Amino acid sequence: MPVVSMQVNGQTVRAAVEGRTLLVQFLRETLSLTGTHVGCDTTQCGCCTVHLDGAAVKSCTVLALSCEGAAVTTIEGLASERGLHPMQAAFREHHALQCGFCTPGMVMSALAIVSRCGPDLDQATIRRELEGNLCRCTGYHNIVKAVQAGAAAMKEADRP
Amino acid sequence: MDEIATDSRIGQPVRRKEDERLLTGKGCFSDDVNLPEQAYAVFVRSPHAHARIRSIDARAARAIAGVLAVLTGEELLADGLKPLPHVPFSMHPAEIRLANRDGTPLFSAPHYPLACDKVRFVGEALAVVVAASVAIAKDGAEQVAVDYEVLPAVVDTLAAAEPDAPRIWEHATSNVCLDADAGDRAATEAAFARAVHVVRFSTQVNRVTGVTMEPRAAVAQYDAARQRYTLYAGSGGAVRLKDDLATVLDIPAAQVRAVMRDIGGNFGTRGMIYPEFCVVAWAARRVGRPVKWTCERQEAFLADYQARDLAVQAELALDAQGNFLALRSSNVGNAGAHPTNFSPLQKGVEIMSSIYRMPCAFVRARAVLSNTSPTRPYRSAGRPEVMYVLERLIDLAARECDFDRIALRERNLLRQAELPYTNPFGMVYDSGDYHGAMAKALELGDWAGFPARREQARRRGKYRGIGVANYVDTASGVPRERAEISVHPQGRVSVVVGTVSNGQGHETSFAQLVNEWLGVALERVDIIAGDTDIVKVGGGTHSGRGMRLISIVVLNASRQIIDKGKRIAARLLESDPSRVRFDAGRFEVAEGGRAVTLFEVAAAAERLGDLPEDLRGPLTAFSDETVKEASFPYGAHVCEVEIDPELGAVEIVRYAAVDDAGRAVNPMIIHGQTHGGIVQGVGQALYENCYYDPRSGQLLAGSFMDYTMPRADHFPPFDTHISEVPSTTHPLGMRPAGEGGTTPALAVVINAIVDALAELGVRHVEMPATPERIWRAMRAAAGTASGNSSTPMPQAQ
Amino acid sequence: MYDFEYRRVGSIAEAQAALAGGSSSKLLAGGMSLLPVLKQRLARYDGIVDLGGIATLRGIHRDNADLVIGAMTTHATVAASALVAQSIPALAALAAGIGDPQVRNRGTLGGSVANADPAADYPAALLALDARIVTQRRVIAAEVFFRGLFETALEPGEIIQAVHFTLPQRAGYAKLRQSASRFALVGVFVTRTHAGVRVAVTGARDSVFRWREAEAALAADFRPAALARLALPSSGLNADIHASAEYRAHCVQIMAQRALAAALEPPS
Repeated sequence: MPVVSMQVNGQTVRAAVEGRTLLVQFLRETLSLTGTHVGCDTTQCGCCTVHLDGAAVKSCTVLALSCEGAAVTTIEGLASERGLHPMQAAFREHHALQCGFCTPGMVMSALAIVSRCGPDLDQATIRRELEGNLCRCTGYHNIVKAVQAGAAAMKEADRP
Repeated sequence: MDEIATDSRIGQPVRRKEDERLLTGKGCFSDDVNLPEQAYAVFVRSPHAHARIRSIDARAARAIAGVLAVLTGEELLADGLKPLPHVPFSMHPAEIRLANRDGTPLFSAPHYPLACDKVRFVGEALAVVVAASVAIAKDGAEQVAVDYEVLPAVVDTLAAAEPDAPRIWEHATSNVCLDADAGDRAATEAAFARAVHVVRFSTQVNRVTGVTMEPRAAVAQYDAARQRYTLYAGSGGAVRLKDDLATVLDIPAAQVRAVMRDIGGNFGTRGMIYPEFCVVAWAARRVGRPVKWTCERQEAFLADYQARDLAVQAELALDAQGNFLALRSSNVGNAGAHPTNFSPLQKGVEIMSSIYRMPCAFVRARAVLSNTSPTRPYRSAGRPEVMYVLERLIDLAARECDFDRIALRERNLLRQAELPYTNPFGMVYDSGDYHGAMAKALELGDWAGFPARREQARRRGKYRGIGVANYVDTASGVPRERAEISVHPQGRVSVVVGTVSNGQGHETSFAQLVNEWLGVALERVDIIAGDTDIVKVGGGTHSGRGMRLISIVVLNASRQIIDKGKRIAARLLESDPSRVRFDAGRFEVAEGGRAVTLFEVAAAAERLGDLPEDLRGPLTAFSDETVKEASFPYGAHVCEVEIDPELGAVEIVRYAAVDDAGRAVNPMIIHGQTHGGIVQGVGQALYENCYYDPRSGQLLAGSFMDYTMPRADHFPPFDTHISEVPSTTHPLGMRPAGEGGTTPALAVVINAIVDALAELGVRHVEMPATPERIWRAMRAAAGTASGNSSTPMPQAQ
Repeated sequence: MYDFEYRRVGSIAEAQAALAGGSSSKLLAGGMSLLPVLKQRLARYDGIVDLGGIATLRGIHRDNADLVIGAMTTHATVAASALVAQSIPALAALAAGIGDPQVRNRGTLGGSVANADPAADYPAALLALDARIVTQRRVIAAEVFFRGLFETALEPGEIIQAVHFTLPQRAGYAKLRQSASRFALVGVFVTRTHAGVRVAVTGARDSVFRWREAEAALAADFRPAALARLALPSSGLNADIHASAEYRAHCVQIMAQRALAAALEPPS
């Protein structure tokens, strides 16, 4: 089997994979990083969103071998010893999660929105930019609030 | 002991304990569970809506390296597995019973975990391949050769009810598997005979599916030495899953353990045992290894239970002043291929008159089998459908008989002084301020300011409409619940309950109860619900029963803990129990100020060997209650839409909701429930549709490419308000708050759309109100208005 | 997914060599269409040749009157490009509306064009802008490139390297999304160039097509009023659970007007 190596949450990982192994399978099954979820098979729900070289992608539709040498950040890579990332904290503060299944993908998308659109986000922008993520519990209302607040908190903390 | 945070008590918007885990990727959902040496299951599913299974040839599949087993219905029967134990009705004592009008017993048919003789819907499982990997199992599934005799199929609700429709079950006389009467037929007919106005409305409420974001998954293992199965799978409750699995495996319940941790949504469609869960457990024994199955999304569209799908023809009789005289209706629910659950039909019938003064009513309720996935309760089972019908009838009455929509509702809405009120089906509404809720919703939705907004929209070339809908919900469900509280001297309190959280935040809100009554800090409370080796009793999360019942048993158990604690504290404080008071986690002797903490008392109970026997040992108490009263949450929603007249596209521009929770334990969570509920209701009204092709019976909306999910950019911010008029049937005044978001949402959206288009002469738009349907409704109305009859009627999409 | 041999190539020559072996191989660009198809086992290849490592296939530049976009340039890059926004703003707007943000970060121009999904956005732009598809062997005009349902003029082993767009005087795109997939239920791209007016429609038939009647009407009068009385016949248009042929025909007319309105907007 071919071998792939990449940086995941700052650590270099290397493993043999099949050609068909998806990035999400590599993360969940090979690395046991089960925070990245699979919610569909048509690249729509966004539960599997991770950052690949800084850009939000759906890891269910990327081959692991395509990520050779790349840097991947998953939900497990956000919090530090200091605690939750400001975006994670905003999700908790604004009750932006219920069952929590879509949440890792939502948070990863939220961070990508901040890097694409800046920290001063209006609700319409957030709603539009969340189009690649589905949630069945929250009705999105509190997610939108959390993304707005999280972005503002990131600006405050000046923490990318 | 820590400072007791009073901001964690009942009524506080406490931030959730479960969030840190879920936000950092440390949740444990069903597919996150892996067992050593596990094998993987892939199901062989029917490509036909209806076919006889002539034979299954699995030789080629079994020959593939890595395939461990191919199991079919034949092996399943040979191994003595039993059908799934469906409970067709809610047996709650407060609810009505539906029985066949001709006195014949209720139709039943065995629902085996794998189809044995026939397949009755596209996607029904008929075999399973177990292999060393998912990929090999899929290779195997492709090689299973099934010889089908394809039969004619029927999927449409009313078509399936026809006497000459293809018969789903041969031993039935027709596909109509329940035909019941409810209400007073004679009185209703008399009332219609003297009515000044009669309004009629026919509709087909669309079929939707739960779409929990977490697809179902299960992993099972069999311990041959102990002859015991363990199933890890998400559901509404662990105890019921364990009992039902034992029934299917035909073994004592003690030989099954069910475990569930985080559950990625339920909404009712996930509340019951599923065929696949039984098959993985059985397969684990057959192959001698743990077996895991993870549902893929397209598989979920085919094989998850679906919901709604109700054909209604209803009439409302009014007198000259607009007083409601009677309601008459025919409700036909599509049960799908297996008669699994008629409670949505039952629950819809029994409150179809809603919270209006309705002197009499009569409903003929039928359930019909069809070549579709079985239907089950889904968020607010049965009520959104009938609230939609009644609120549409009221708007139609207002328009066709020239009443004001609000005045007509106010005239007929029950007043507080009339409660408790027995509705024409015998349901007793306990309490509530129905007029207050509607008035508040109209205020939040700025009903008064609407004409100006409509004018403004018109200048932008848009049709703008507003709608209002009142609702009532019946909260019933399995009436028995149990809580066991243990105070651990190490400084923790554990509470074992029988309903698991499917996202409702039980770890937080149930802990708030303990904080309120035992004064224990939230972070010291552990709610244990998802393991049947610990949890013995519990009805699961459904029918607004979680907090409603848990609050009662936790209160009772807490009182026992305090009573026991006082007696132990009296010993420690050298006082009399009657002089010990409990406050904020401390037992103190009133006059002296001497005190011991709850945890010190728990330590003493374990330490002091000379305590009376009932106090010696761990400080625990349990309460096991069967609550026979139902609860009736209610409220009112107001929705405003704008319609693009060129395309028929509709946009929700404002949405206000008032929902009565009686007494809110965690208002933050309740608001969240309402937001999510609204979106599920709007999803049904505008987007979602399990569309089966009427000819082939194929599910054409079988993935997210074709089943439209509500997304963030479909909605404005919501204005939600929690009303707290204490319920008189709950000791703490609580009403459930999980379903109110959905219950009136179908009605209020369609009422708003029709209001926007009423000036064109549009009388109704069916759900989902897609742009094409709205465009066709506008064109048809324009054609009618100009006397041009050539405009075709809308074709159901 | 059936397993395959994965090859990541660094040049067109390597890619050609990888494709040349006797077995069935498929080029992988962004994978946004190919991988879901493979996941569902709707196609099977012995080899997958990943073009992601060929740096020369990425990038956007001006070549005299042309805007040239490399085949492996992502939708997000096109959407965010100042050069595209300045040259053909309608193309940037189109790219910004494909799929969703995550899809736009992976999906590529070349992949979309080669796949020729009947509801994809790019084919409308290519056809309306009279674009030229450059492969390692030849240059193909968009007019003859899109041949039918998922069918193009590409020959076996032919690799799209870039697409050349001639700058229009005016261009606008308007799309009505299919509500579930967010592909185009119908999308209309309207252009006016020195060569004339083009109106390209996607989502409505098995392949992108030019609405000649609308082009003629707009050639005479490049204003929305010119389209008001036109109607696209519904016969031959797609009909599915999302829209009938009749509704699609209606929407083409409306979207054409909206695309035209966008084309007429003064540059911001």
